[in-house]
Amino acid sequence: MKGINPLAIIGVAAIVAIVLPFVGSDYAISFSIQLLIFLVLAASWNWIGGYAGYTHFGQVGFFGIGAYVGSLLNFHYGMPWYLAAIIAALAGAAVAIPLGGAMLRLKGPFFAIGMFGLARVLEAFALGFDSITGGGTGIYLKPVSDLRPLYWAVAGVAMIMVLLTWRLDNSRLGLKLLAIREDESAAESLGLPTTRLKIGTFVASAIAPAAMGSIYAVYLGFIDPPTAFAPNMELTTIAMVLLGGMGTVLGPLVGAIVLSVVNEVLWASYPQIYLACVGVIVLLAVLFMPRGIVSLGMKKGWFRIGRPQFRRLAARKEQAAA
Amino acid sequence: MPVADLLIGGILLGGVYALMACGLNLIFGVMRVINFAHGDILAISALSTVSIAVGLKLPFWVAIVFVPIGCAAFGALIQVLILRRIEGAPMIMSLLATYALSTILVNVAILIWGGGYSGLPGVLSGSIRIIGVNVSLSRLVSFVCAIGVSLAVWWMLEYTRFGRAVRSVSAAPELASISGIAIERVRLATFALGTAMAGFAGVLVAPAFAIDPQLGSRFIIKAFAVIIVGGMGSYPGAILAALLLGVVEVVGSYFAGAVIGSAFLFLLMLAVLLVRPRGLLGAGVRA
Repeated sequence: MKGINPLAIIGVAAIVAIVLPFVGSDYAISFSIQLLIFLVLAASWNWIGGYAGYTHFGQVGFFGIGAYVGSLLNFHYGMPWYLAAIIAALAGAAVAIPLGGAMLRLKGPFFAIGMFGLARVLEAFALGFDSITGGGTGIYLKPVSDLRPLYWAVAGVAMIMVLLTWRLDNSRLGLKLLAIREDESAAESLGLPTTRLKIGTFVASAIAPAAMGSIYAVYLGFIDPPTAFAPNMELTTIAMVLLGGMGTVLGPLVGAIVLSVVNEVLWASYPQIYLACVGVIVLLAVLFMPRGIVSLGMKKGWFRIGRPQFRRLAARKEQAAA
Repeated sequence: MPVADLLIGGILLGGVYALMACGLNLIFGVMRVINFAHGDILAISALSTVSIAVGLKLPFWVAIVFVPIGCAAFGALIQVLILRRIEGAPMIMSLLATYALSTILVNVAILIWGGGYSGLPGVLSGSIRIIGVNVSLSRLVSFVCAIGVSLAVWWMLEYTRFGRAVRSVSAAPELASISGIAIERVRLATFALGTAMAGFAGVLVAPAFAIDPQLGSRFIIKAFAVIIVGGMGSYPGAILAALLLGVVEVVGSYFAGAVIGSAFLFLLMLAVLLVRPRGLLGAGVRA
């Protein structure tokens, strides 16, 4: 077994993340905060979309809920941003529980579009209830003078998300989710409590995005409905997971790093066509690399394949042969 | 007085939703693909119609004839270049592909037409009175055309040879193939027909609504709601649900304001999901 151990990559990323605020410029820190927020979103989406196989286009809904809950607490009650982020996370979970119960009755594409519609409804509510949310004018928050505390918070959450994914990948729970992804009725017939597992995963994948929404609002110093519920946020997140590799530990990490850098370059040189370019990247990834960079790397032997992953590969004929 | 106003306004709005949702439903039935770009094809058709009528100063019927044809060609191109290559892959892949396509189309449309609103004030302006209610002529014409085309396609599906082929491919692709139906050709024709329907809906929308490149995402989520409420894959269900949702939206907007009014559609959709997940006339879905 040659190749790089995934834990080594996570370790290197962690060391870079810890050293960066001491040596990096303000620009580097600002860029890294965006990257890490996307990493958290991608890792969360990977749980429900990659492992459990319930792809959806509504995660930005939780992001937006978090952004508004956090901003309103911060704006009206002067609550410090870290407390507001924790309450936003709880609000995300509180919304996700009943929502999961209703929406997870849908399968495949219906779930995906149902969630997409829901995010748009939330945006409509944020616009419509302008006495609370400020409507289209948005809410202006006190700007933060130093981005470093935000950076530490986001980096900490990102680290936890990646480690939790690693833990999930090596656990029975991870196997159960994969069983749901591959064949839900078979999983159910084997006695797995699929409904509970799905709702649990859905709720777990809503918590961190809500917290990130709240922190993103502080980072921007401003929030309005199109920013809080931006469809391009959704597309970028999904593109990261897809590009990195759905249902892998390193996928969101690799995808977030690669696509953030590409985005930054595109945004700097071609702001008008940058979103169309992200679309083209997703399209090319779907057509030519649907399993993502990490799976490709495992096939070519760049990454060491962990024991659980290896066992799973052995069970799949086409992949074991490659 | 407002009751009749609202009912007629809602039903007229529902006509365009019906045409759009029927195209979406047709594509889904045959290809098991949910076309996220459907709404953006509608938006681009509407914008092209404005360009043809205002920019090139050609008569409106030119747009009625050529825009749907252009859309059909574009649909065929998408099918050959993208969707055919990911046919065996999980459904997620086609969903991601069309979602990406939708983003590309929106942003290309913004590059070409800019982000602002445009419209066709000169075409089919004026209004007529029906049972004591003033109805805008453009909305009435678009409703009649939209429902007419939806019903015509339904008739074709039920009674023609091609329609039978389409229905057998959507019911059981393997058996259809064994029976000598050229599945690939049926899929290509269906996708082209579906996008042409979206294109025609776009032409009809142009004189009746204010249009901008983001119009597609507003329409597509309503079409999704229509399909879920009506029952996935059910043609009469889609037409019925479209009219119902048109009324719900107009009544909701009247009482709660335009922004929240359109959110009522989704509350209805969520209610249907909870009580009757297969929709009003749906027979359940073969995944």
